[in-house]
Amino acid sequence: MKPPVVGFAGMTHLGLVSASAVAARGFQTRCFDPDRGLIDRLVQQDWPVLEPGLDELIRGNGARQTFTSARDDLRSCDVVYVAPDVPTDDHGRGDVSGLTALIRDVAGAMNPGAVLVILSQVPPGYTRAIGAWPRERLYYQVETLVFGQAVERALKPERTIVGSADPAAPLDSRFRAVLDAFGCPILPMRYESAELAKISINCCLVASVSVANTLAELCEKIGADWGEIAPALKLDRRIGAYAYLAPGLGIAGGNLERDLATVRRLSEGHGTEAGLISAWLRNSRYRRSWPLRQLHERVVSRVDEPVIGILGVTYKENTHSIKNSPAVALIRELVSFRLRVFDPAVRASSEWHPRMTVSEDPLTVCEGADALVIMTPWPQFRALKPGDIAARLRGRVVIDPFSMLDRAAAVAAGLEHVVLGAPLLVHAE
Amino acid sequence: MTLSHVHNQPRKPERVVVLGSGGFLGRRLIGACAKAGIETVGLGSRDIDLADISAGARLAERLRPEDAIVFLAALTPDKGRDSGTLMRNLAMARAVCEATRAVAIAQLVYASSDAVYAFATPLISEETPAAPIDLYGVMHRTRELMLAAEANAPLAVLRLTAVYGTDDTHNSYGPNRFLRQALKDGRIPLFGNGEETRDHLHADDAVDLILKVLSHRSTGLLNLATGKSQTFRAVAEIIAARAGRPVEIAPSARQNPETHRHFDVTNLLIAFPGARFKPLDEGLAAMLADMRAHASA
Repeated sequence: MKPPVVGFAGMTHLGLVSASAVAARGFQTRCFDPDRGLIDRLVQQDWPVLEPGLDELIRGNGARQTFTSARDDLRSCDVVYVAPDVPTDDHGRGDVSGLTALIRDVAGAMNPGAVLVILSQVPPGYTRAIGAWPRERLYYQVETLVFGQAVERALKPERTIVGSADPAAPLDSRFRAVLDAFGCPILPMRYESAELAKISINCCLVASVSVANTLAELCEKIGADWGEIAPALKLDRRIGAYAYLAPGLGIAGGNLERDLATVRRLSEGHGTEAGLISAWLRNSRYRRSWPLRQLHERVVSRVDEPVIGILGVTYKENTHSIKNSPAVALIRELVSFRLRVFDPAVRASSEWHPRMTVSEDPLTVCEGADALVIMTPWPQFRALKPGDIAARLRGRVVIDPFSMLDRAAAVAAGLEHVVLGAPLLVHAE
Repeated sequence: MTLSHVHNQPRKPERVVVLGSGGFLGRRLIGACAKAGIETVGLGSRDIDLADISAGARLAERLRPEDAIVFLAALTPDKGRDSGTLMRNLAMARAVCEATRAVAIAQLVYASSDAVYAFATPLISEETPAAPIDLYGVMHRTRELMLAAEANAPLAVLRLTAVYGTDDTHNSYGPNRFLRQALKDGRIPLFGNGEETRDHLHADDAVDLILKVLSHRSTGLLNLATGKSQTFRAVAEIIAARAGRPVEIAPSARQNPETHRHFDVTNLLIAFPGARFKPLDEGLAAMLADMRAHASA
């Protein structure tokens, strides 16, 4: 069989990374987006998202991967993925109207015998109801995008979950050829199962993080250290080496929030018990304010008109995304105080805070500040020397939720080093 | 719903009408307003009996459209825990609703209570569902709903936790009673070993927060608490250490299950950045000094 030509529609984060991974597996890949300005940027190799390894991947694909704003260019494709990012609102509700419009647009241009695959995340019931393409050649494939690790996960998926109208029927051979190129297990199932499988994965991740958050807070109060406990849990086969057990500052980024909102909405509609979802969301909101509570207890309640330095604005490292970022929330909540802010990827907006100075490097943030808060675990912050920070700070408090600084060195430098899930250590004179 | 501000920068309210001006918090609030140069009208039960059928109309006669009302008046549990007390308290809220429908005012601040919460929740926030377990809690929750539904005024509901301070006439289990017992008897009896935790808010801090709510013309819901809970044992020990005389702390066999109360005050810190609270040992020391001065006068 001649290798299938693969099309992708929707060149935002998910579509661009996924298309690049398919091209890297040797397939001719046509990347379409109706936004001509976006396609012009892509042709100029100006990528709209920050992902480690993406630039090298696309450059390595060379002529196999092409970009176009002409939907008729998809007519020559055997398999067409529709993969725009689905936006979410402040309540975590996804808006699939753009996806639906794109599917209908693309379906009108495709070869009638081709395969259409929905890759964007959709609520259960969406694929069966779409009606824009014959069901025997319509699939839903679960995406595995993780911001900051998207390229690695797209190239080496652990498994591929495929929703189809009839999971007992063999997959279309052209679609199967694309999936086989990734060399991982393929799990066909009903559309609805596949749609819920993605949500189920995310619920399990949130459950793990919520457990870690709940017990990490207890650690802070009773003198235990979650950093000592988590490795023991990961050696338990029932929990696993890759379990999400790092405590954090709540759920952010938009995707997990969307899935929780979907489960809650479905449960309300169908009358199933879902109190756990509300508990996770409550825990997330509570943990997001952990830095504010620490700042109040250790600085604001003791120092008049404090100056506060903040490192990191994005919701996690290696991304431009600030969706539901705890750092942005903190900046807004500190509206009464003077701030200095630095992030390697995003310039903080004066709309967030009128008395904020945007610094050009991390140490400048520390100059004369009463406290430093490291809100995003960017790898470069790990290289900061506590002695350099201590020499520039006016105060002693460093709130470092993700323990980016060397803890022993921070304490030795006389810093009050406050981390998630660990008791406060104080330098013994 | 949490608190939101009409004025991001504080502004002096035109006039503050304090209902319950003769009470522990009312007197302090009027004093604090005077100190801040805010015109006040204090109304106590001798001025208007808010439980009376004509109280709404009489209160309306005293109001101006630019007024902010701070509704502190209530018959507390020491005045009665029965349904009759409940109904009188609700009649007071009805009068306030009637008055604000006759004269639309700038703001209505209702001093509710953490009695609207059950003890089952380890950490209470504004999201915690109100689930009162006695008629006093039911009274506050019902008043909140009455004011939200029937008062014609932007409403701030403040749920105060255990408030303590000099001149508090209530003698419930906690700092005020412990102080009197320490000075009078040299003995502080505890339930069990005093393991239960509560969040103790000094009256000055409560009044300061009410003033902030007035000056920002805030609306919504906020718990007024410090976020730092202490055991009754710890309270007793602070008092014993400062009483200036030997004080026995006397545990007893526990008759009821232990209950605890902790507050997540994140919303308060967001609403009023930089809010500070008097540490409990300082607050108790100030009370002791006041009581000694009063005794020697």
